[in-house]
Amino acid sequence: MKRTLVNSLDSMKRGVANFSRSQKFYFIIAAMAIVAILPIFLSKYVVSEVLTPMIIFALYASSWNLLASSGQGSLGHAAFLGIGGFVSALIAIKSGVPPILGLLLGSLLSAAIGFLIGLTCVRLKAWFLAMVTFGFSVIIVTIFAELDDFTGAVLGFPTPLIVDRGLPFYYLTFAIATISIFTMYLVMKSKIGLAFKAIHQNELEAKMVGINTAKYRLIAFVISTFFAGLAGGLFAYSIRYIQVSVFDPYYSFLPLMIAVIGGLGTIEGPIIGSVIIVSIDKYLPRIDPLLGGLIGQEGLIPLFPAVSNVGPPIRMLGLGLFLIVVVIFAPKGVTPLIKKAYNYLRSSPQEEKLK
Amino acid sequence: MQKKLIVAIVIAIIAVSAIVAGWQLTNVPSADARPIKIGLVAGYQLAEGQDMDRAAKLAVQEINDAGGVYVADWHTSVDIQLVKIDTENDSPDNSLGPVTQAVEEEHVDMLIGGYTSSGTLTNQKVAIDNRVPYIITGASSSLVTRRGPQANYGNLPEGDPLRVDDAEGMSYMFHYCTTTADYSKTVVNFFADAMKPLLDSTYGFDDSRNLRLAILYRNDAFGKGVAADSKSIIEDSNLPIDVVAERNYPTDAISFQTDLTAIKEAKPDAVYVVDFVANTAEIIREGQKDVGLNTMYIAVECCEDPKFYNLLGEYGTDQLLESKFAPYAGPPYYVEAIGTYVTNYQQKYDTLPGMMGADTYDAFYIAKDAIERAGTVDKASVRATIESCSMDQMLVLTETGKIEFSTGTDYHEIAPVTFIEQLVWNADVQECRSVIVYPATAPGVDSLKQADFVLPEGYAPGSP
Amino acid sequence: MITSGLIQALLWGVASGCIYILLATGLNIIFGVMKLVNFAHGQLLMIGAYIAFTVTTALGLNAYLAILVAMGSVALLGVGLERFTFRKVLGTDKLNEIFVSLGLIYVFENAAILLWGNTAQQIPSPLEGNQLFLGQVSIGYDRVIAILVVIAILFALFLLLKKTKIGLAMRATSQKSTASMLMGVNIEKIYIVTFALGAALAGAAGALYGIIFNFNPTIGALPTIKAFAIIIIGGLGSIPGAVIGGLLYGIAENTAVYFLGGTWQDAIAFTLLIVVLAIRPTGIFGEKGE
Repeated sequence: MKRTLVNSLDSMKRGVANFSRSQKFYFIIAAMAIVAILPIFLSKYVVSEVLTPMIIFALYASSWNLLASSGQGSLGHAAFLGIGGFVSALIAIKSGVPPILGLLLGSLLSAAIGFLIGLTCVRLKAWFLAMVTFGFSVIIVTIFAELDDFTGAVLGFPTPLIVDRGLPFYYLTFAIATISIFTMYLVMKSKIGLAFKAIHQNELEAKMVGINTAKYRLIAFVISTFFAGLAGGLFAYSIRYIQVSVFDPYYSFLPLMIAVIGGLGTIEGPIIGSVIIVSIDKYLPRIDPLLGGLIGQEGLIPLFPAVSNVGPPIRMLGLGLFLIVVVIFAPKGVTPLIKKAYNYLRSSPQEEKLK
Repeated sequence: MQKKLIVAIVIAIIAVSAIVAGWQLTNVPSADARPIKIGLVAGYQLAEGQDMDRAAKLAVQEINDAGGVYVADWHTSVDIQLVKIDTENDSPDNSLGPVTQAVEEEHVDMLIGGYTSSGTLTNQKVAIDNRVPYIITGASSSLVTRRGPQANYGNLPEGDPLRVDDAEGMSYMFHYCTTTADYSKTVVNFFADAMKPLLDSTYGFDDSRNLRLAILYRNDAFGKGVAADSKSIIEDSNLPIDVVAERNYPTDAISFQTDLTAIKEAKPDAVYVVDFVANTAEIIREGQKDVGLNTMYIAVECCEDPKFYNLLGEYGTDQLLESKFAPYAGPPYYVEAIGTYVTNYQQKYDTLPGMMGADTYDAFYIAKDAIERAGTVDKASVRATIESCSMDQMLVLTETGKIEFSTGTDYHEIAPVTFIEQLVWNADVQECRSVIVYPATAPGVDSLKQADFVLPEGYAPGSP
Repeated sequence: MITSGLIQALLWGVASGCIYILLATGLNIIFGVMKLVNFAHGQLLMIGAYIAFTVTTALGLNAYLAILVAMGSVALLGVGLERFTFRKVLGTDKLNEIFVSLGLIYVFENAAILLWGNTAQQIPSPLEGNQLFLGQVSIGYDRVIAILVVIAILFALFLLLKKTKIGLAMRATSQKSTASMLMGVNIEKIYIVTFALGAALAGAAGALYGIIFNFNPTIGALPTIKAFAIIIIGGLGSIPGAVIGGLLYGIAENTAVYFLGGTWQDAIAFTLLIVVLAIRPTGIFGEKGE
């Protein structure tokens, strides 16, 4: 065990060294600078209700992504989002611990429970694991609702203030998410990440070359649920309220959608996916007036007399189709397509001639 | 002589011109005049949200067609512009964003709406922090106005995160809706005042026999709130009612037979069903059809909806519905305004209105009244005039016959009158319709009761 | 304590169990032959309910004849699904099936909302209200018919699989698809028939569901989970296992609700599932054909 850890740290160090010399490194630094400075010029609403959720869900989707890279596609990650959220808030309120410490404790407890669930899942095939994880998210709702006297989960309650809303909270989230995603990147690039990939490809073969698949699957679970819990805590602080709605199946499917559409298994996939999905969520309803009421009274509504608000169903249907299309035609996600487009635009006329 | 005359005339002309000019200036519509933006906070994924939307649009259209709202500051009348705030399923995470956008980016002058308690408790924070008047027309939890200092924090213990210390902010919240306590009170009082005597006389029970009540509710804040309030009112008022069975189920349950069977074994005289339209209709059907629990069922006011009558079919006959707005109990209606509203609504939307819309409809007229009395859209002034509102009741009846927001510990609540209806089969429409059976009168209405309460055919009381 | 209430609960368990059996059997057939897992199976149930509802209310068709219409339409839908989505991901990363299923869930649910609205509906049945009395307990005729219909369908399925050529081909494919291909079995055709069959069963389950319970576009999710729980308990790929599992599940669910109250209804399913899987990761009866 200790040797594995030392080896992993070593390979991580090398990974960092290699990385900082690559071109990608400068690109990322530039991108981060933009993400850090741009919000200063934007309205408080956009910063707190659009950009901050993008970062939080990027973190959340990254945690799911890490688990999926080991072949374990969880359909119940909302359980950990919610556990992280509730525990962070409850600890901060009931024992007066500073909210930021509450975040850490919430993540730790989420990882602990993730460990237990991981134990039941280590020997399960993909479909069974999906069912068990989904089942767990249903059970956790029942547990929280039954313990309502202690958790206050049914009506919900406001979460304590960690830092002011708007730019301060944005920067806090940005810092935490950056450190977290970078950590996950290092893990995925290390020997541990390699083991994940091997297990994902073919578990039987991985076992045959001597990889302790159970151990690595468990490691994936613990790391993934830790960061999911962290995202949950940030989520609870960002909407300033927590309630059982956080366990809704929608929040289990969201990281999946984001990671798959963005690019499963990659680091930038969940980030780009989050930007896309959150943008669709927030801005599609507003395109309505621009399209001259296409998705409104005069346009599509007469086609669907049974519904008075066609926007959300059309949006969700579109997302479902988007997911299916990506999985069938672009299984590596949208990011490679964006990269191709970017390269195409960047390539000089000489290179074009040579092609 | 001539010179003096000319001077006099010139002075007169100047004087008259000055007066005319001055008069014109004070009555020229101000350049600041603009439509009044009122945000409607509703969950459009829900049928209730759509009802609120339709009611709001009807109210706004009526007000604008009649000339709009007169704002003295601007010397002119302006239209109301309805700003749609779609909270989808009205969960806390979905309702904060849209309301924040409406307040911070669209700068609405007022908010009307709010449906679920959790969602409203979340999104009202934006209105509290930004001092935006918010007439909450949904949310059965009284905490939406009572969580502040004015109402002693709704008796929440110290350190409870739901408490709000911002008294000024809380003063912008108004609750134009019934709370779980309001309708529980009417229901249990009905059982004590009207049903128990009828049971005693019909079956020869002794007066000391308490009415046997079963409560079947959905396991969320709404269901638990009603169940808890009912029990505490029974206890506090020492009513002759025993709660012989209390069962709940998850909010996504589809079948209730097993719970109903367990209730049947407890031999109740009546079953209080706390859920929304689809499940309540299912419970009343299953209870009679499958379980053979031929008792008195009573539904909560949110079931006052066309879909309820449609799903119930014949199984609704002689069952009870607690309500505060009865579009099905007439014509003739107990209050003329209801007949007008139902007719206009039906004409515009080709369907009958539900209950949620009624509060919303009234709220727009409250807003109009408040802005006109304030003479400005300045939020602080409008807040004060909403608080001093004294309009005649409209679609929702009140205990005083007027719309008045309390400034006591039931802070910024109205005192609505809720009543009990009994469903009767209407062969013409092949659905049930309702008649009011309790209470007999209400302020501002000569007689509220439309028919006597009867026990259903095939009714069987619980054991003696 | 065996009260009449408990017996009543058991009886209903059998009736609702039958609907789950149909759903689980459909899933089982698809998995057995194609090794494919479709999480959107419950959506086919929901669509079946809506189609039955539409033909019953709009065309005045008898609710029980509507079952056949629902079966046929959903089968066609299944063919389309197989051809245009699942076939493309068969053979790729196992997780892709899960992702596609998820996308389909969103597509079906929201298409149903757009077409029919999201308020509750119920299929009117000609036998409504009539009860069959067995001593102290009673069961609605609708439920009795549901049980009979399920038995009939299962019997027809049994005949198909055991006595027909295509049934033989399906069974062969489920054993060893490579060997079957070498023997001249048209794999693609088998897949289409299998999926259509599984979908038809879901459609029938939906039509029955809509008569007994009221439904809306979101009801598909939970039955899917329960069908999976049944398959896992009864053994993936085993049809008799699904039947026994379905009955056991329906009974267990109702009994649990009777004693513990409705809140634990859904959680029971999953707790059972997790416990079974923790002990035997391949289900109680194990897997066939893998």
